Amino acid sequence: MRRALAAGACIALSSQLAGCVTHTQPDAFFQLTPESAAHRSMQTRMFETKDETELLSASAAVLQDLGFQLEESVRGVGFLRATKERSAREYGQEIGRFFLGLLSLGKSRIPVDFHQKIAAMLIARPIDQKGARQEVRIMFYRVVWKGDGQADRQYLTPGEQRMEMLRDPVMYQTFFSKLSKAVFLEPFAL
Amino acid sequence: MMTQHTIRGLVAIAILAVTQGCVAPQPSANLLAPTEAQMKVRSLQTRSFEMKDRQAAIRGVITSLQDLGFIIERANESLGLVTAARFAEPNYYDVVGVTVTVRQEAEGRMAIRANAIYNNKPIDDPKVYQNFFATLERSLFANKH
Repeated sequence: MRRALAAGACIALSSQLAGCVTHTQPDAFFQLTPESAAHRSMQTRMFETKDETELLSASAAVLQDLGFQLEESVRGVGFLRATKERSAREYGQEIGRFFLGLLSLGKSRIPVDFHQKIAAMLIARPIDQKGARQEVRIMFYRVVWKGDGQADRQYLTPGEQRMEMLRDPVMYQTFFSKLSKAVFLEPFAL
Repeated sequence: MMTQHTIRGLVAIAILAVTQGCVAPQPSANLLAPTEAQMKVRSLQTRSFEMKDRQAAIRGVITSLQDLGFIIERANESLGLVTAARFAEPNYYDVVGVTVTVRQEAEGRMAIRANAIYNNKPIDDPKVYQNFFATLERSLFANKH
């Protein structure tokens, strides 16, 4: 019983603290940060081609190969946006939920990540006057929805939302290696 | 003891309170008239650049928004519209949205206007727009060379 009370108190305290987090000042959003350049180089690759449309359609094909659905495309500015929805359940979180439930004698269940939408935003643009060299920049991010939970007698409804930028370099390397293969192979496809 | 006068008075007050809720609020006549504050905000949000190529200006806007970590949500080339958003990492509950329009002001001049909102409230802090235009200028300049 004492453990259940302690667990309940912990949850109550953490939810109280969540309300106290300071908000970011909006002017900071429009300033470049020291990390901006590093992010840029991770998300960008150059291609020696004049054909911007071909590069864009190859990018769309690679995104499709990776299971994305294209949601928006504007050829004039070389823009693509694609998303895919997947389960966000992870063993680690489920185990944590199980043990906390056990410790609190089934009185508290922490909400775990349940569903996610992974999105990709891509821009292709010429970077020299002649247009012989193109740059492709892609950014991945995801929205995660949490499942339901319980804190003592209070039921926590599902659907709590969280967003994050995906900055795993492997993800970007995979995309670009597939894209460079596609750009190289496609002229020889016939 | 309550007299009849007091009861009547109370009833009158109750009726008054009830009927007051029934009067529909009237919009003021100058609801859509521009205010001085609006004009000020507009001048903060707008800047003109000496550029000939409208498409290059739109691309410059997109590049600078990407550098700032914004997610481009929509782009319309023919209207010169770019809509983007980002959230404050690690505070994912704070969201900033921005709409940028590129219009040709005169031959060789582009007017670029940015409207930013922070958690669904318009931003009228001049510093925000100064920072944005500084980044944009840098990216337009880099694109030229």
